[in-house]
Parts: sequence; C-alpha cells; structure tokens
Amino acid sequence: MAFSPLEQRGIPLDRQLRNWRELNVTPIDPDHCDPYTRCRIITMNGIEVEAILFSHQFARHCPDPEVKRQLARTRYIEAQQQKAVNWLLPGVSSVLETTIAYEQVAVDLTAWVARSEPDAYLKQAYGFGVLEDFDHLYRYANLYEMIEHRKAESVVDGLTEVMPGRPTRMHHRHPVDNVREPYDKARTDPLSKLHALTVMSDEQQTMNFYMNVGPTYMEPIARQLYQEIGLIEEEHVTHYESLVDPGETWWEQLVNHEYNECYLYHSFMETESDPKVKAIWELHLNQELEHLHLACDLMRRHDGRDPAEILAPELPNVLTFEPNKGYLRELIAEQLDLTTLGTGYVREAHERFEAMQEALNGGEAPPSDRVMEEHHQTFGREYRMQSEGDHPVPELREKS
Amino acid sequence: MSPATAPTPAPAPEQDVVALLMGQHGEIRNLFDEVEQSSGDTRRDAFRRLVRMLAVHETAEEEVVHPYVKRTVDGGADIVADRLAEENAAKEALSELDGMDPEDSAFMPRLLELRIAVMEHARAEERYEFAQLRRLNDAGRLATMAKAVKAAETTAPIHPHPGTETAAKNLAVGPVAAVMDRARDAIRKVMGKDG
Repeated sequence: MAFSPLEQRGIPLDRQLRNWRELNVTPIDPDHCDPYTRCRIITMNGIEVEAILFSHQFARHCPDPEVKRQLARTRYIEAQQQKAVNWLLPGVSSVLETTIAYEQVAVDLTAWVARSEPDAYLKQAYGFGVLEDFDHLYRYANLYEMIEHRKAESVVDGLTEVMPGRPTRMHHRHPVDNVREPYDKARTDPLSKLHALTVMSDEQQTMNFYMNVGPTYMEPIARQLYQEIGLIEEEHVTHYESLVDPGETWWEQLVNHEYNECYLYHSFMETESDPKVKAIWELHLNQELEHLHLACDLMRRHDGRDPAEILAPELPNVLTFEPNKGYLRELIAEQLDLTTLGTGYVREAHERFEAMQEALNGGEAPPSDRVMEEHHQTFGREYRMQSEGDHPVPELREKS
Repeated sequence: MSPATAPTPAPAPEQDVVALLMGQHGEIRNLFDEVEQSSGDTRRDAFRRLVRMLAVHETAEEEVVHPYVKRTVDGGADIVADRLAEENAAKEALSELDGMDPEDSAFMPRLLELRIAVMEHARAEERYEFAQLRRLNDAGRLATMAKAVKAAETTAPIHPHPGTETAAKNLAVGPVAAVMDRARDAIRKVMGKDG
C-alpha cells in the first residue's frame, strides 16, 4: 500500500504534548511478548535518541534564534516520544536480557536492510557488519547462561539462531580502516539514505547503551565483555556514519531524519502484533508527519530547495522484522574471513590490522574468548541455538 | 601502560552465595516456563518442582541473606523489610496455588500473577541486596552462606510428608510450609557451625 508522507497532515504541533498519565505507558511482558515487538521498541528508541542528539547538534551550529526555538519545540516532543517508546521495556528484565534483545535487533534489522539495499557497496557494508553483531549475540548468550542460568532462546524465541559469526576478536581493526566511502546524495536511491540513517542510529544507541550499563555489572567477565563489545560498537558507528554523504546540508539532514521516522513508524504500525504498542506507533506516525512538514518548510525557506527533490515520492516497502536465518547462513559461508583495508574489504590480515590486534590484546585472550572458556568450564559445552542444522563453517562447529 | 592486574575469574556458585542465588532466579523462571508450557501430569510434576524450588530459595534468603544484610549494611533493616513484604505476598499466592489443581481454569491466571511478583522480587534483590553483599567484599562469608543454601537444597523433601496430600491439609500445614521447615533446619545447622 503506497503511503506518501508529503501529502498527509498529522497532528498540529501545539497539540502533541502529552501529560504524565499519557506518558506512563504499560511495559511489555518479557516472558510472553513477541520478541520482534521488543525489537521494534529498541529500534525506535535508537531512532528517537538520534533525532534528539541530531537536533541538539543542529541547534549548536545554528545562529538564527527563531530556528533554534522551532527546533526546541519539535525536539521536546521527540524527547517525549523517546520516553513513551523506551519505557515500554519492563523493569523486570535484566540488563543482559535487554542486551541480547539489542543484538537481536542488530542481527535481524541489519540483515533485512542488507537484503533490501539496492546499492552494491552499501549492501556489502551491511553484510560485513551483521556478521559481527551475530557473533556478539552468541558471546552475550553464553554470558547470560553463566550468570542467570537462562538460555538466550527464552529471549530471542527461536527467531534468530545463536552460533558463532565472525569471531569477536577479529573485529578490532585499526580505526582508519573503519571509515567507508559515502553514497552520492544526488544519485543514490532515496531508500539507501533511509537504510544508512536507520542502521547508524541503532548502532549508535547500542554503543550508548553498552558504555553506560557495562559498569553496572559486578561479575568481572561481564564488565570486560561489555568494554570489548562497546569498543566494537564505536567501530560500527564509524563504519555506518561514513556511508552518509557529508555534503547534505543541515536542512536536508533534518528532512531526511523526519522522513525516516515516518517510514519506520509507518512500517511498524503495519507489522505490529501487540495492539497497545501498535497504538503508540500510530500516534507517533501522526506526530512525525507534522515534524516532517515543519522540517520541509525550514528547508524551503533556508535552503531554497524543494524537499521533494531529495525524498522518495512514496514510502518504500515496510521495514519488517522477520527471521533471516538462511540469508545469514549464506553470508557466514561466504564472508566470514573478510576484514577492511582503507575503504574496501580484503580477505587477509594486513600489517595495520595485525599491529592493532597485538597492541590491544597485549598477548592475552580478549574477554570474548574468555567468556567462552569460562562457560565451557562450568557447563562442559557452549550455548548455541542452531535450528537450521550444523554451522556452515566446519571449523566453527562445536567440538564435543 | 598501567600495571598488569591478575585476571579475576567469575565467582563459582558453590563458593559464592550471590552467584548461587542469581542462578536460582534463572532456574525459577525456567520452571515457570515449564509449568506454562506443559499440561496434565507433566504440568503437575513441573509445578511440584517449582513449589519446592521457591520454598527452598525463599527460606534460604530469609535465613541467610536477610539477617546478614540487616546486620552489616547501612539501612539494611529497611531494605530487608521491603523484601520480606514481597516474599510474604508471594508465599501467600504460592500456598493458594499449591491447594489448586494445575488443570483448574483459575490456576493459570494466578500462576502468571505469581510469576510477575516473583520476578519483581528477584530483580529487586539483585539490585538492592546482592549489590550490597558484593560491596562488603567478604569472600569467606559469601562462601559459608553458599554452603548453607546448598545444604538446604539437598535436605528439603521433594515430596510432601505422608498424610498431608489432601487439599485442605495442604493449605493448613501444606508442603510449602514443610519444605520451608526442613530447609530452615538444614541452614541453621550449617550457619550455627560456621557462622
């Protein structure tokens, strides 16, 4: 069904403020919810956090007090949206459970985007990154069983397999090798802009989450694993943000942000299984349509351009959370041994990569390897959930 | 470069009461899953194991963790009072469920209520009590406490005492209370010796 955000009007901005009662949303039940409902919540939280932080940066670079006031008005509503969305997560969940859900988002969101991305270079960037999130899920799942005696399948519910991806220790590249080439804003498919913004925002939120919750752990191995994976999230944000054309003006970027929020709330409204959560997606879509119009007005006034030039005339296919097991297995079989060199990809460990590895590991096994050792000592096996058969790479099959 | 520090391994549950009890929180949640996902005699059996696990676990916390937190942690008495209120509510719900047939239509809604209460209680313990226990940094004490909890686990009966199987009697002096008594005796033996 075609949906044209530019032709729709939403709720007027001065009627968007919610009171405390309206913000006091009922959290989902972690043991009986659709895991993809939780994935959509985590995704939209990342999108709203990016909306807020982008708007703050814009305001700090903006000399016009009238524009600053306009940004502040919209941003306050976005801050309320972030609260309503993220507060759907339940307090009874442990940090590690939420972490596993974050990795399920990273896996199934990035895999879906990689499958749908029309540009080959960008598709490669998502395919490369998703194999790392996939391995993080496996490491955290083993930590979860060690500390909480629960299996990660109780969180991901068999929708996402849990087994080795590209081994986490191989993710530590030299920082300059994390910078990719950007798409060309004039020539790229509008869908590619939405994909880049979406994956960048969610990796950024994952980075923020790990950097803040990691030290709340008491168990030494947990603290160390969050540090290690937190640093890889820094690499991922560098990787994805460099895909975005830096030649986009602030106004253009603002419009792209608002358009993307319309796209995602619309997608999730169309696919949501929980009626209470769906009502929130619908309300937020109606708020975003107005934010988009206000951003378009700013672009016309200050950039002297028509936003229709840079946007898709109608929304692309709904972004869908669904299992990507077969696609991930293909990627694993073909691309596990890739690393980056400059803005491209190579199969062999080069000098700069080796030097970074040596300096960072200091001759010891990284936490992501030690968590597996400690798990093995306790359980005499690994935690995996391979619903589709043996691991595609023989060397990564579990040794009995 | 900072001076090298020896790697600290994660504490083993047999040596550390916090790791042990956190593991039990996960196992309790697994048992709730089992009860919910089964039916008939399989459900009855899973529910018996859940009742026993909860009874032993809560008794251990009451006998081992709470008194220690009360004594040694600043504001400990208030922390413990909050936890005891949660435990008492959960125990009442548990006794009530214990007198019901798991196939009764009223059973599942009550079980889900109990599940939420137990999870909230467990998470509150982890955040407000276990964090304090870690902060005291007394490995020997945590090991003794772990031993006491383990002792309770092994001595508490899996099946109710003969003669108490009827629903009416279950409610009065039922297996929940019996399991708790046995667990309490076992814990006091260990704590009296080493504590």
